[in-house]
Amino acid sequence: MITSSPALEMNEVRKVYSVAETEVVALADASLTVAQDEIVALVGPSGSGKTTLCSIAGGILSPSEGTVTVGGEDITGYDRRRLTRFRRERVGFVFQSVNLVPFLNARENLLIVDEFGRRERREAKLRADRLLEELGLSDRAANLPGQLSGGQRQRVAIGRALMNQPSLVMFDEPTSSLDTELGSQVMELIRTEMKSRGTSAIVVTHDDRITHFCDRTVGIVDGVLAA
Amino acid sequence: MIFLALAEMLRAKARFGLVISAIAMLIFLILFQQSLQAGLLTSFVGAIRNQSAPVLVYTVDGQRVIQGSVVTPDLEAAVRADPAVAAAGRIGQGTFTVRADGERFDTSIIGFESPALGAPTSLLRGRLPELGEVVASEASAASGFDLGEVVTVEPGGYTLTVVGLARDVQLNAGPTLFTPYDSYVEAVRSVNPDAGDPLPNVLGVSPVLGTSDEQLAATLNEISLDIDALPRNVAADETPGVAQVRQSFQVIFLLYGLVIPCVTGLFFLIITFQKSRALTLLHAIGASSSRLVGSLLVQALAVVTFGFAIGVALYTPVSSQRLGGIPLRFETEAVIVWGVVLLVLGLGSSLVAARRVLAIEPASAASGGSGR
Ligand SMILES: Nc1ncnc2c1ncn2[C@@H]1O[C@H](COP(=O)(O)OP(=O)(O)OP(=O)(O)O)[C@@H](O)[C@H]1O
Ligand SMILES: [Mg+2]
Repeated sequence: MITSSPALEMNEVRKVYSVAETEVVALADASLTVAQDEIVALVGPSGSGKTTLCSIAGGILSPSEGTVTVGGEDITGYDRRRLTRFRRERVGFVFQSVNLVPFLNARENLLIVDEFGRRERREAKLRADRLLEELGLSDRAANLPGQLSGGQRQRVAIGRALMNQPSLVMFDEPTSSLDTELGSQVMELIRTEMKSRGTSAIVVTHDDRITHFCDRTVGIVDGVLAA
Repeated sequence: MIFLALAEMLRAKARFGLVISAIAMLIFLILFQQSLQAGLLTSFVGAIRNQSAPVLVYTVDGQRVIQGSVVTPDLEAAVRADPAVAAAGRIGQGTFTVRADGERFDTSIIGFESPALGAPTSLLRGRLPELGEVVASEASAASGFDLGEVVTVEPGGYTLTVVGLARDVQLNAGPTLFTPYDSYVEAVRSVNPDAGDPLPNVLGVSPVLGTSDEQLAATLNEISLDIDALPRNVAADETPGVAQVRQSFQVIFLLYGLVIPCVTGLFFLIITFQKSRALTLLHAIGASSSRLVGSLLVQALAVVTFGFAIGVALYTPVSSQRLGGIPLRFETEAVIVWGVVLLVLGLGSSLVAARRVLAIEPASAASGGSGR
């Protein structure tokens, strides 16, 4: 990682979906820079393009126009394979909906990340156990996702997102399925985990009440960013 | 991704257990029927396959049934005179009522003039027969045709002593006795005193050095339109009914061959559909498509291997049984062939599911079913 470059630099990024001959502009000339160690809240109404932005920043989706640079690595022209590798090595995700493999227990959901590329085995196990402990899940390590509460599942997902030691993590509405108190706890946890590692993050939310856990808030309406 | 493949199998034991059982059952049935086919054919034409004459000379009107063929003296002379023939020997065969151990059996008696041209080649115990003696098919030993037992041709009361047992030498699925030609003639006469000198049914012939069995058969067929000379194995395969039995079984095997990929292909397609969200998630967080396909293939391989092993394990004890007088046998070749076929079909059919895995769009992990 090139230490001087920001965690994320999106420049004039445009994303257009074409569905049945109509074009939906999900993201219009979005430029966003996330500094190292910075947690940015991305707030906006439903359908405003929050998930689309995260997907592009994390190399899940390619932009129609514009450039994306993550930790100094320009991923704009990457093909499928290089994007997959980039996701494996550089970023972490907590998705809006499905986050865990249902037939793997909590610990295995973390360890599976180590299976994707060059394997570390021992270190990965140590890291998984440490993460589970930090997330207060040591006694739930052997539980399948179906045997965990919503908050516990979300915490496993956070652990999973940190397993590959990313420099940037996208949290897409991490608290939407949780009540206010649990949501605050999870946000607290996210902040602690990010700050202790010096990892940058984008936290997508509808909810203005949790933005104060972030360093900065960016608004988005109809695909247009407003700081 | 063996970890992923095995973890899923362990957590979905019932599901994978079912498909493994289905494959085991299919393999068991296939192998069982392979044994049945082999046993059936052997019990019908084993006597032709496992006798010593390399070429058999029938007459055309016998339609390749030994008992229906009659070799006239002039045809016999013509065959013996052919320069491609090294040796020729008479073979006579008839179906007799034979009493053994107090019971009557429809029994084939085969008389051979020369031990090199029509005697059984698969002697298990005892020796070749002298006058008044027989080698019996081992499959009927327990019915009173065991070594040392004396059997009686009825009516007439001509007796024959069993001095040898040979394996896989039945004709028409009944007890089958090999005896010198003169004893065969005695048996015919004891039943029908007016029979006189019966004509031989077929001739067993061997080629001179440098001539193959096929060449000899072709040469002899040129002598007369009445002659139908066939190499030993062709004679067995061309016996009426053999081809039909083979064909029927082939249709059955073909159907099984279609069912196997349907079972494995559909199974993996369904489970791939069912876990498509998990697969999408894994791809989105950095698992390459090839790893995910690899995990699928590991499962397919495991399913096929376990299914095959269990199928063979079920088949092994059954393959040494006897089914309605037909002795079954462990068909090693069939086991190997079907093992390979299963591997190819099982892995091949799971590639349909693999195509779905390769088509996964990682972006749908982010947007897919935001369930709120
Ligand atoms: N795969 C797609 N094909 C076509 N249009 C899409 C696709 N994904 C998203 N869109 C459209 O793009 C726009 C932005 O979608 P996006 O999912 O980024 O919104 P969001 O801000 O995450 O919404 P929410 O808060 O409901 O999750 C929406 O109008 C949506 O309908
Ligand atoms: Mg969204």
